[in-house]
Amino acid sequence: MTATTFPRPPASVRSRPDRAPVARLTWLLARPSAQSAAVLLLPGIAFAVTTALVLIVLGGGLMFWRWTPEDNTDAMVYQTLSVLALVLLLVPLASLGGAAARLSARRRDDRLATLRLLGATPAVVTQMTVLESTAIAVLGSLAGIVLYLISMPFVGLIPFAGAAIGAGELWVGPGVLALVVVAVAALAAISAAIGLRQVTVSPLGVRTRQTAPRMHWMRIVIGSVAILGAYVLLGSMSEVADAALTIAVLGTGIGIGIGVLNLIGPWALGIAAKLSLGRAKTAAGLIAARGILESPKAAWRQVSGVAMTSFIAVVAGTGIAFVDTLTGDYDEDTMLLLADVRTGIIITVVASFLMVACSVGVNQAASILDRRDLYVSLDRLGMPREVIESSRSRTIMGPLRFVAFGSALIGAALVLPLVGITFIVAPASLLIIAGCLLGGVLLVWLSLKATSPVLTRVLSQPERL
Amino acid sequence: MNIDSPLLSGSALVKTYGSSTALAGVDISIGGGESVAIMGASGSGKTTLLHALAGITAPDSGRVEFQSPSGPVDVTRLNERERSRLRREAFGFVFQQGLLIPELTAIENTALPLMLAGYPRREAEGRAQHWLAALGLAGMEARRIGELSGGQAQRVAIARAQVTGATVVFADEPTGALDSTTSDEVLTALLESTVGQGHALLIVTHDETVAARCSRVIRLRDGRVLPEVVAA
Repeated sequence: MTATTFPRPPASVRSRPDRAPVARLTWLLARPSAQSAAVLLLPGIAFAVTTALVLIVLGGGLMFWRWTPEDNTDAMVYQTLSVLALVLLLVPLASLGGAAARLSARRRDDRLATLRLLGATPAVVTQMTVLESTAIAVLGSLAGIVLYLISMPFVGLIPFAGAAIGAGELWVGPGVLALVVVAVAALAAISAAIGLRQVTVSPLGVRTRQTAPRMHWMRIVIGSVAILGAYVLLGSMSEVADAALTIAVLGTGIGIGIGVLNLIGPWALGIAAKLSLGRAKTAAGLIAARGILESPKAAWRQVSGVAMTSFIAVVAGTGIAFVDTLTGDYDEDTMLLLADVRTGIIITVVASFLMVACSVGVNQAASILDRRDLYVSLDRLGMPREVIESSRSRTIMGPLRFVAFGSALIGAALVLPLVGITFIVAPASLLIIAGCLLGGVLLVWLSLKATSPVLTRVLSQPERL
Repeated sequence: MNIDSPLLSGSALVKTYGSSTALAGVDISIGGGESVAIMGASGSGKTTLLHALAGITAPDSGRVEFQSPSGPVDVTRLNERERSRLRREAFGFVFQQGLLIPELTAIENTALPLMLAGYPRREAEGRAQHWLAALGLAGMEARRIGELSGGQAQRVAIARAQVTGATVVFADEPTGALDSTTSDEVLTALLESTVGQGHALLIVTHDETVAARCSRVIRLRDGRVLPEVVAA
């Protein structure tokens, strides 16, 4: 028998962590395989949608900033409101971008753990994750620019100042395009780094850190005081005759409302889930309630973008409708401005729901892939497909309904006298707002349903486990 | 042991994946109160055989018959929904990693099959509590899976597999992720709660010490059964 000759080990295998070829390792592990195609594609799609929406929103905002008082006497009001809308959309945008970034970081779990097993330091693993997320973000952003260009003619049909704005008005220019790609890449890098702090990448695998800290009841006290302040402030709005001052009061009230919503939102969601858990009679209800309780903050983060816009839709929408009813003798420009503000509110609501729907779609598809072995095992145990689907749906739609309609109710409570008057004199305005909220919830539900084929695919190939 | 009228039997089972043959005409039968270990190298067809017998995978040809309390059932003739129901109501499963729902507590995981079968939650959790206590997990009912050790989590999986009174339990490497002492304890719990109750246990394993504690060992090579050895 001939003795096998093995290669001799190198003379020195001293660790040189400062010299680890992070870029080359990342490229090596990024090469797509049958399993990892979805891993790269999902966050890529999310980044593309984020970029396209950012560009459309920015395009709309910049259009108003190109207006001069000669073009439109209310140019400054439009500009102020466009900034407000941009700020409002930042939350769901950051949420969607963050979801995409976390996704690209978390989806590489197995490879990261293997690298740790082979001796890679946590710093190398972090650098690789950040680099990969950033690369996916850049590619996704470039695809998003194409999506933006395709959608420009359609968005250009929306009327402002009495005429369709036109596709050309939404063009942001090459400078802003480059800036958005850089910003999305930076968001991905930061979110990936933060996302990794929530997991422990050890040589034996990647585990999510144990339960999030409990929500403190002080949140409700601080929130109540702030709401009281906002109530007093907004209550004085009907005595304000000046349009600019009305907007300032509205803006402050909205700011307080957003702060309070974020303060008490996760806490309230946790309480609601606890109540649902106690009442749960079915397996689907039980799994859904436990899923939300696992991390109320994560559940809130996914739908919080809707909280802001639902709140705004009711407060600002009612305010505008109310002002509209008082000002029958206003000139044509003011009437046009009020109509445009209403249009702006609807666009903001629709855009935020669109972002939440994208975020839910991406998160859910990733969640199915992440929990693939669990879903297959439940299927093997004989858990009906409908129960799995129902628990997934309840985990998302429960918090969404709670957040969308809860925020709308808080908003309505803040401007209760105005809601009452508007309901009598201008019911159509309130119906449009309610319709937008219902339509948005339906949109998110459709996005959730769109991920069902992923589950079908996972369950149809159980032998791959 | 009752081999004359087996609780579960498979005859001439064939299953192929593309060009590779996982099962090439396997015959097997398991009686009540019997434990059978299925052994073989990776790719020999062990898990495919378990899946075919449990109605998880439909074989390309051959027949699987289960002796249910209401009469014989030809598993291979059932549609996907009916096989799912059979698995839910008549069979129990224990996997290598437990594969319990991490956000649920021990008692909720155990009660799940009963809730799926339509039992009210309170009654399902009552029965689950008895099973957890019988398996040495009293006082741990409210713990989430992440708060249990590997051995404790496997006991929860055993309780979940048995809570519906399943007459056949399928276990795929149930002790594969455990140390030898814990493995021994979990296997004892599994055997006592199944074979000890007159039920049948089918274990896929690589571990000879696990196989040695079963009534029979069936060895597979290239999808065929090698001559059988009576182990105990």
